[in-house]
Amino acid sequence: MSMISLGDLAQNFMLRRQNTDLKTDLQRLSTELATGHVVDTGKQVSGDFSPLAGLDASLARLQGFKATTTEAALLTGGMQTVLGHVERMATGLAPLLLAASSTGNAAQVAIAAGEAQQKLATAVGLYNSDISGRALFAGQAIDANAVVDVETLLSALDTEIAGATTANGVASRVSAWFDAPTGYAALGYQGGAALAPASVAPGETAGLAFTADDPGIRDTLKGLAMAALLARGALVGDTTARADLARHAGENLVASQSSRADMAARLGNVQGQIEAASTRNSAETAALQIARNGITAADPYETASRLEATRQQIETLYTLTARISRLSLVDFLR
Amino acid sequence: MSISGAFSNALSGLTAASRSAEMVSNNIANALTEGYGRRELQLGAHSLGGTGHGVAVTGVSRSADLALLSDRRVAQAGSGDRQALARFHANLEKTIGIPGGEGSLSSRAAALETALIEAASRPESDARLSNVAGAARALANQIGHAAKSVQDARAMADHQIGADVEKINAAMARVVEMNVAIRGHLSSGRDASALMDQRQQLVDQIASVVPLREVQRDNGQIALFTTGGAVLVDGKAAEFGFTSVGMIDADMTVGSGGLSGLKLNGLPIATSGAYSTIAGGSLAANFAIRDDLGVVAQAKLDAVARDLVERFAGLDPSLAPGAAGLFTDAGAAFLPANETCLAQRLALNPAADPVQGGAVWKLRDGLGAAVPGAAGNASLLNKFQQAMTTTRQPASGSFLPGLRSFSGLTADLLSSVGAARLTAETEASFSTAKFEGLKVQELQSGVDTDREMQDLLQIEKAYAANAKVIQTVDEMLDLLMGI
Repeated sequence: MSMISLGDLAQNFMLRRQNTDLKTDLQRLSTELATGHVVDTGKQVSGDFSPLAGLDASLARLQGFKATTTEAALLTGGMQTVLGHVERMATGLAPLLLAASSTGNAAQVAIAAGEAQQKLATAVGLYNSDISGRALFAGQAIDANAVVDVETLLSALDTEIAGATTANGVASRVSAWFDAPTGYAALGYQGGAALAPASVAPGETAGLAFTADDPGIRDTLKGLAMAALLARGALVGDTTARADLARHAGENLVASQSSRADMAARLGNVQGQIEAASTRNSAETAALQIARNGITAADPYETASRLEATRQQIETLYTLTARISRLSLVDFLR
Repeated sequence: MSISGAFSNALSGLTAASRSAEMVSNNIANALTEGYGRRELQLGAHSLGGTGHGVAVTGVSRSADLALLSDRRVAQAGSGDRQALARFHANLEKTIGIPGGEGSLSSRAAALETALIEAASRPESDARLSNVAGAARALANQIGHAAKSVQDARAMADHQIGADVEKINAAMARVVEMNVAIRGHLSSGRDASALMDQRQQLVDQIASVVPLREVQRDNGQIALFTTGGAVLVDGKAAEFGFTSVGMIDADMTVGSGGLSGLKLNGLPIATSGAYSTIAGGSLAANFAIRDDLGVVAQAKLDAVARDLVERFAGLDPSLAPGAAGLFTDAGAAFLPANETCLAQRLALNPAADPVQGGAVWKLRDGLGAAVPGAAGNASLLNKFQQAMTTTRQPASGSFLPGLRSFSGLTADLLSSVGAARLTAETEASFSTAKFEGLKVQELQSGVDTDREMQDLLQIEKAYAANAKVIQTVDEMLDLLMGI
């Protein structure tokens, strides 16, 4: 069929279709410019969402680890503070006990013993302290006291040493009680099993197994308790034996320093690990965010220039529509 | 005789000009009517005894390019088909949700992982454990919601098939009526163009549902065949048979007898595959959504739900072997035989769900625990968290072999939908462009008012000339009479 006419509707249809296409483009581009992300993510990743989903899953996990590392750092920080306090007390008390023992003066020994009893109470209080409602050294029983109260502890020891007449006998019975599973572990330690290792980074855990049943704490309590027993009248009447027991207690406190230091060092290691994991997680989060943006971001320069081009095109189309619509033979027939 | 001959010649010219003006006015009035075929008056020299005697109107021609019309109809049906499929995939992609979007499947899975990590850090915190329960419930609901929307799409397709079948049955019957009316008009010599316009609109209605070919028969009759070869109208109208159901469950298929197949004149016909006679239109697309794509999507969601259930099975020492784990099949243990429709039934274990009367501490101490244990025990929560990231091969579903974490599996699910959506959209935009191109061509042969105006000018000139002839002849006669 030879083309000797062009239907009115054809022109109208074409203009309308082009107008719709341009407006759809305009809407898409302005959304992309406003949000900074491509509208059709599926098209951007050619239908394969695995890398994007992988990034998102890692980011979500890292967000979880952020809370974990913060809380683990808080907990281990609290533990380290307590260990520091007790360390200072123990190292302060040991010379006092040794000096009193060397003078052999009953009054001096009594004063040192009184000091030791009070320090024991403070130490137990410190070991029982909590941070944000979470007992520090009670393991999984985070709502319990780690160590039994001083009175119960000392009266249990009173019973244990009853009948012992020499300083050596008392010291060895006290020491044996603290080391025996039926002694301190059963009657003195009130907490639960050690805390499960905390996940601090993908595939990495930090051990938090620091309880009041740790040798670092047990040995310290041993020395303090020996001296405190003097204040409760152990070996009463035998000045030499009492001075001897004070010496045992002082020596014990000095000797237990290595297990305290060991515990603090282990704790410090974990703190360092948590800190390193936290830093690594932050760096990884930033890197993953950048990678994610690389996938979904719409290049602002490209988007803006295409938006401008589309705007011009639409204006041209409007002008064209107006001109063409006026172009009718009817208007010229007078 | 030649003077009165001149009179009658001029008179026939006046009549032809008037009829032409009528045609022009009709064309202009229908300048915006789609499917209107431009009319033109056919003129011929009137002869009497071998000599010319004025002009004769031999008929009215209605311009229609049948080849173009036919191509446009097939393209229109194809465009409808592709667009329906693209819409289905796009909706599914939106329901599953793209990563990063709030309420997407992958962000729900990620939220559960985050909640588990945070809860393991503070297992004594009620808020953290409640977060885990909430995130797990939301994840189960999201999978169920996606599966439900798949079934909704199937139900919608089923409903649409019912409506389409009703529409084309009615249109086919009307085409037969129009055929009869057109034959009546033509045999009595009247102009049947208006009836043909109406019939063309009816055929267009059918063509948007099934692609068809129009074949011309004698006396202006048409026969309609689908491009696949089914006879729709040839003398008599065919009738499609279909019964739509209100609600569709995942286990309802044509095979199970729960859904209706398509019948043509009472005989079942194929709705997909190489022997389908209705392929290429929106009817076939709706059957594909209902019987193929929807079923496949449901199976994939079921496989994802099963993977989730199995990840958390056997982790909890407080439960008897085989008991329902963190995720359950509507509260009970999952059995592989019951995989169909699992996505809809997937639920958080009632023991740990406060909404269902459970207690969140059971997430920490074991779902079978009778009393709360140590508040700082994070071992089960750690196991749960590892269960999400452990890579394993999904036990079912048409996923490629390979080990995946749960988030990897949800990404694979979404990728399969996303890729299908992109392919369908590309095809849809291609077929739409083709359809629009043909449509423009068809519209170009429609009414052009400029051309009608030009014709009108000529008609005006011819009318004036004929009138002048009559006047002049009249004057000649007067002159004769005045002698």
